[in-house]
Parts: sequence; structure tokens; C-alpha cells
Amino acid sequence: MKMRHWILLLACMPFAAGAWAGEAGAMLKADALKAAPFRDAKTVGKLARGAQLDILKQQSGWYQVKSGKQTGWVRMLSVRRGAMRKGGQVAGLAGLASGRAGTGKVVATTGVRGLNEEDLKSAKFDEAETKKMEAHAVSKDAARKFASQAQLKSVKLDYLPKPQGGDQ
Amino acid sequence: MMRALCMTMLLLCVLPAQAFNLGKELEKQFGGDKTKQEGGLALGGTSEQEEIAIGRQIAGNILGAAPLVKDDKLQQYVNRVGRWVASQSERPDLAWHFGVIASDDINAFAAPGGYVFVTLGLYRQLANEAELAGVLGHEIGHVIRKHHLKILQQSQLIDLGGKLLSKKVGDNAGVQKLIGSGAEIAARALDKNAEFEADRIALVLAGRAGYDPFGLVSVLQDIAQVSKDEGSVALLFKTHPHPNERLDQLGLAIGERLDGIKGKDVAQRLYRIKSK
Repeated sequence: MKMRHWILLLACMPFAAGAWAGEAGAMLKADALKAAPFRDAKTVGKLARGAQLDILKQQSGWYQVKSGKQTGWVRMLSVRRGAMRKGGQVAGLAGLASGRAGTGKVVATTGVRGLNEEDLKSAKFDEAETKKMEAHAVSKDAARKFASQAQLKSVKLDYLPKPQGGDQ
Repeated sequence: MMRALCMTMLLLCVLPAQAFNLGKELEKQFGGDKTKQEGGLALGGTSEQEEIAIGRQIAGNILGAAPLVKDDKLQQYVNRVGRWVASQSERPDLAWHFGVIASDDINAFAAPGGYVFVTLGLYRQLANEAELAGVLGHEIGHVIRKHHLKILQQSQLIDLGGKLLSKKVGDNAGVQKLIGSGAEIAARALDKNAEFEADRIALVLAGRAGYDPFGLVSVLQDIAQVSKDEGSVALLFKTHPHPNERLDQLGLAIGERLDGIKGKDVAQRLYRIKSK
């Protein structure tokens, strides 16, 4: 019953805030539940590996989740999204409503074809389409202006080193 | 133990792994030889012009398999976001081109020289601009690290005994000969490590561009739920490590490194495609 409600809600919000909004998940590994989405935030609980949860929100690397009676924030990469409920139907409905599938199931709505290895191998060069693509090119300056319209600012950030294979 | 496992995985993708090693060997042999480099396609010697000519041919072939979605506003939008993300890389001045192609498959492609494609099927999965930035960032990563170009260079050297290309640049048939049949290079798997590297680059470029760096993580978590038997992900899953493995690797690489980064998801601006 509760689930029905939830589906209806999704159907009414064709473009929910994120793919994860209202989605179920489970803990991939044990991790701390935090009061806020950052490392130094107060730890309000601990979620065991496999603990079931509902994802409420996402914020830079963290999911706000509800697990049992607890609510708090856990690292995104500690969570596996979806699949915990018998999800097929939920996904189908959500997908139809939104044109995209809430739980990652893809709904073929457009009748546009797939693109397999054979298609690619046998493809013939299309000059007209290539020119069209090139005509859409945007200058660096135009891109910067577009970014600033959304208050996007460049941030200094080093590349991530290749992890040293290990269990950690 | 883990190391042994890595070795096994490396051996499992023999072709690209071998190609990479062979490349190193060849580089040692040809690297210093100016005459061969001037010829054009000796390793390390491909000029940007040649790179673009090769990329354009591949791009045109991909478009031959799946044309652009007929929605100029969409194409313009993706170019603006993509160019901004690419501007954060070490090749900001490359002539970057981005396109959404008409396919329900979930996939994205890169060709040398700055040509990047996202399928309509993947685009429809996106929840916000940060996720788009992450997807484009992965492909930009392949371009800036020349992953496909390396494979082509190596196979060219191996297959044709080092015959050089430069005279043929500008001549489509010549370039086509080099890249094989159609856009098959786009259907070929890269070395796993190249994919993991592109993932790490994607997060960083998105973060540098001011976006939430975790957009790609969200997309991968989304795709991880699609069944392997689903046709729409067949090629993606064939050519890439499973999203769960990519997420594992990202987790290892990130640790707490991105903790201070507060990016934007820019959900309201994501260009929505009309239903039909």
C-alpha cells in the first residue's frame, strides 16, 4: 500500500530531483551514519553491511538515507542503489512517467534503434552529419559564460592518483 | 593476492594489454628516430592535425551508424557543457565537438581530436547537469590521454609494419584504411585501466568545472542496475568493466580526497528532451 503511494508520487513528479530520489538501496559495506554530509559531522549511528535503506537526497558524495528509524548521511560509494525491492514494476512505471527510468531500467519509448558492434563496423562516413556536429561547436569563452550563468566557477583540484590495488 | 588478481585481469584482456606493452617497446625503439616521427604515425609523433583527421573520420563513421538527434538546442547545450568541462583539462584549446546521437542504447564514445558522443538512451538517464559533466568528462579523459589513438598507432605499426600515414592525412580513404572497418574502433574495448583512468579524470574535471564531482558515480550506480541481458547496455558492458567494478575502483581512488569539494548539480538547467 505504502509502495503504491510512492509510485503515484513518482508518477506525478516526472522529473524528480535525481535518479535516486525515493529509491531503495543497501549498504555495500559498514559505514558511519552522519548528521550532515561531511566527514567531521557528528556520527549518529552505524549501518551494517547489507542494511536496507531509502535514499532521500544526494549532496556531493553523500546520500541522505533513512534506514529503519535512523536518518542521516552516508558516503555514496558505501551504498548500492536499488534492486532490494522487487523492482521491475516500480522501475517500469517510473520510467514511463518520466521518460527515464528511476531505477536504471531502460524503457524504450522512442523507437530509436540500438547501436551494436555490427552497426559500428559497417557504418559509412556521413559528411553532412559531421559538418552539422562541427557547426555546433562552442568557443571556450562562450562556454565560460554559460557556466557563469549557473554560478559555476573553476576550482583547483588535482587528478586522483591510481589506487594501489589492495583491499583498503 | 590482490596483485595476483590484477595480473589475471590484465591477462584476461590480452589484446589491449599487449598492445599497450608493445607500444612501450616500440616507443623505445622508434621514439628517438626523427625521420620515422616526421613520417607521421610513429609513436609519439602524431601531430594534432593528424589526430583530428583520424578522429573526424571515426566521428563521421559513428554518425553514419547513428545520426545526431534532431534537436539543435540539445546539441548546443551539450556543446556548452562539454566545452566548459574540457576547458578544465590540459587540452582546453582543442576543437572540441560534442553530440547526442539517435540511439536508445546506453553508451558514450570518444574519438581522437576531441569528438565526443552520448547516446540519447544515456542522455535520458541523466538527472542533472553534473551527471552530464561526469559522462562527458569520462570521454574527454579518453581524448586527453589519447587512449584510442594509442591503440590505433600500435595496431598500425603492428599490422602494416610501420607504414606511415602522414601523406594520407586529408585523404579520407587513407585515414579509413588506418582505422579499420567503419567505426569498429568505437566498439573495441580499451584496457580496463584506461577506463578506470577516464573515470578518475571525469570526477576531477567535473569538480574543477564547479560541478558536484559525483555526477558520474550516480550515473554508474544507475547503470549498474540495468540487467546484463538488456540489449541497451550490451555493447557498453562488453567494452567496459561492469559499473560496480568501476565504482569500486573509484571508491579506492577517492577515499576522502574529494571531501572538501562542494560542487553544484545544476539540475534545473538540464535540457529536457521532448518525449517524442
